[in-house]
Amino acid sequence: MPLDTAGNATPSGSIVVVENLVKRFGAFTALNDINLRVDKGETIVLCGPSGSGKSTLIRCINHIEQHDGGRIVVDGIELSNRMADINSVRCEVGMVFQSFNLFPHLTVAENCMLAPMKVRGISQFEARDRARLLLRKVRIADQADKYPAQLSGGQQQRVAIARALCMQPKIMLFDEPTSALDPEMVKEVLETMVELAKEGMTMVCVTHEMGFAREVADQVVFMDRGSIIEEADPETFFRAPRTERAKGFLNQIIH
Amino acid sequence: MNTLDFSIVAQSWPYLWSGLLFSLSLTAAAFAIGMILGTCLALVQHFDVPVLAKIVRSYVAIIRSIPLILVLFWFFFLMPIVLGHLSGNGRPVPIGASATAFTTFGLFEAAYYSEIIRVGLRAVNKGQFEACQALALSTYHTYRHIVLPQVLRVASPIILSQTIILFQDTSLVYVLSLTDLLGAASKLAQLNGRLVEMYLVVAVAYLIISSAASQCVASLRKRYAIATTR
Ligand SMILES: Nc1ncnc2c1ncn2[C@@H]1O[C@H](COP(=O)(O)OP(=O)(O)OP(=O)(O)O)[C@@H](O)[C@H]1O
Ligand SMILES: [Mg+2]
Repeated sequence: MPLDTAGNATPSGSIVVVENLVKRFGAFTALNDINLRVDKGETIVLCGPSGSGKSTLIRCINHIEQHDGGRIVVDGIELSNRMADINSVRCEVGMVFQSFNLFPHLTVAENCMLAPMKVRGISQFEARDRARLLLRKVRIADQADKYPAQLSGGQQQRVAIARALCMQPKIMLFDEPTSALDPEMVKEVLETMVELAKEGMTMVCVTHEMGFAREVADQVVFMDRGSIIEEADPETFFRAPRTERAKGFLNQIIH
Repeated sequence: MNTLDFSIVAQSWPYLWSGLLFSLSLTAAAFAIGMILGTCLALVQHFDVPVLAKIVRSYVAIIRSIPLILVLFWFFFLMPIVLGHLSGNGRPVPIGASATAFTTFGLFEAAYYSEIIRVGLRAVNKGQFEACQALALSTYHTYRHIVLPQVLRVASPIILSQTIILFQDTSLVYVLSLTDLLGAASKLAQLNGRLVEMYLVVAVAYLIISSAASQCVASLRKRYAIATTR
């Protein structure tokens, strides 16, 4: 087995390794002994009932939440409390939020340019070029000079995807990227995500969009009450879930 | 019967004008000092910097509970004595009336602006901070490029009303024998007995400047409206 920079053995190809992860909020255990591996180029769909810890899990991967036990290794760097490690991990991990979280006082282009310039240290020219390229990729190049509030929800979420991609991350995390959107806008965001997955981006997506999971997920991970209950390829998971809890959950989302 | 005679105003225009210029420059300087220092004071409290945050909180509380005119007196009469002690020879070091006015107004306004900014900082959406974290932006860049610009935009109407109050408060410099717009008008009025005309003209001047400032911010706000709502 190859050694990562921390000197730990990791199976080749795994870009995110989560081992025995524990996360507590006070006395409440939100994540209990989570183990997860994400290989390069893989798309993983995380699902489960509300409050099961999906958001908490992916927020631990870029250290927006600090874990209390176990280890998280991202691209060979183990997340500790060292700010240098946290920042190098965050540079490689893009994140898309349910509520977009675009910067309202900056234009779409500026939203995309800020972090690459300030964090990656690229020039304004290069940042502008990169923003233009990625905004074209998410099909909103013509909106570059507008403010976020002038765009529809679907457009805003695609800007958020472009903004994250401008940092040229190796992994993308999505936390229910379509659940704040009107139904007719869900499709355009999912199409962008499908494209990204097919180009080989490594993705961890919290979503209940089964069509998306069926089309691109390599693995569906089902969580309940802070634990991973079931892991399977999408066909198997949707057709024949093994656990009662997964069955109940699937019944609910199909209604 | 007295009739109104505004010719006196035309004659004394240069004197009034220099008074107005003093009021405006004191306002501008106090605004600049107050905003820069006020932002620092707000950030010290926001980050709860050990020891410093406590000192700043007391400073703001004290300043805000004392009338400005009293602070002016203090500075004018106590500062020379304090400086004298600090310099060692014990003799009071006189600081000019102008210097007293500029420092006092700056320090005084800083306390008020810092409160406005502190409240604004708490109102910034949590998601904005998370987006900055996810993009690996440093704390400095987060506040410099994302948080403070949003706070200043949202708080601009309150900051403006505070600044209009500041502009009106500059008339208090008469206690330091400095001549601002109102001071100039009072002196002229007493000299030539045309009190009504003088005070009418000055009132109109204050009215015009204050409402122009409000208009200015209203239009700025319209321009930023798209950039501040979500
Ligand atoms: N900051 C916090 N403080 C205290 N408890 C929290 C905090 N964040 C999350 N929790 C709790 O942790 C549990 C997991 O929350 P999490 O947001 O990860 O769930 P989720 O699976 O993403 O749910 P949803 O589908 O509603 O988004 C919940 O019970 C939640 O109440
Ligand atoms: Mg969630």
